[in-house]
Amino acid sequence: MHVASTRFGSMNVPAEALLTFPSGLLGFPDWTRYVMLDHDTDAPFKWLHCVEEASLAFVVIAPVLFNPNYQVTISPEARVEVEGSETDGLSLAVILTIPSDDPSAVTANLRGPLLMNPRTRLCKQLVLTEDYPTRYPVFSAQIHVERGQIPALVEAIPA
Amino acid sequence: MLVLTRRRGEGVAIGPDIRIVVLGIKNGQVRLGIEAPRTIEVHRDEVCVRIQDENQLAARSPVVPLDVFQRLLRTKMA
Repeated sequence: MHVASTRFGSMNVPAEALLTFPSGLLGFPDWTRYVMLDHDTDAPFKWLHCVEEASLAFVVIAPVLFNPNYQVTISPEARVEVEGSETDGLSLAVILTIPSDDPSAVTANLRGPLLMNPRTRLCKQLVLTEDYPTRYPVFSAQIHVERGQIPALVEAIPA
Repeated sequence: MLVLTRRRGEGVAIGPDIRIVVLGIKNGQVRLGIEAPRTIEVHRDEVCVRIQDENQLAARSPVVPLDVFQRLLRTKMA
């Protein structure tokens, strides 16, 4: 399917690559369909790009890359929303906020991670009861980035 | 906004299956008990607002070229 992007121009995305957020993201309830794009195959982060709104996209990363101690409780309701069965390997991603004037001040929202079910391709932004910050400074932590060692979030499409 | 006055132990019903009860009032704080089906999410609203505000900011993130990021990684991680 054809996807328009204000950042990356026009793209063709296979329909099976769609990710659905039935409730949308907080503050963006009307947009429910996204795709995961590779920023660059060597980059640890990816773009979660809305297919319904050309300007709506988020930079996401696997939290384990910069915070190996990050652990969240997945509520039964959240599991139901992504139709997670006991055998589904659910994955987590967190959204990065990159200030335009200083990309090194990038922060990660650890309080509202994205839960993804790679099998059903249903996703949900969680609101955690754990006291994690919405602005966790990514570069204050040791990033464990090794080429080819990046855990897959959900299969991404090269941009 | 609908405004109701309730005493300790009294409640409010919202629809057929949501009930909110005032459990106690002390030092300007109100303790609420909330009964709702498990499919209804209940959160302190300031947490939702914070995540919502952060989403709005994050949606304005620019495309950062990979070499810029790699340089950052090298300098920040050193």
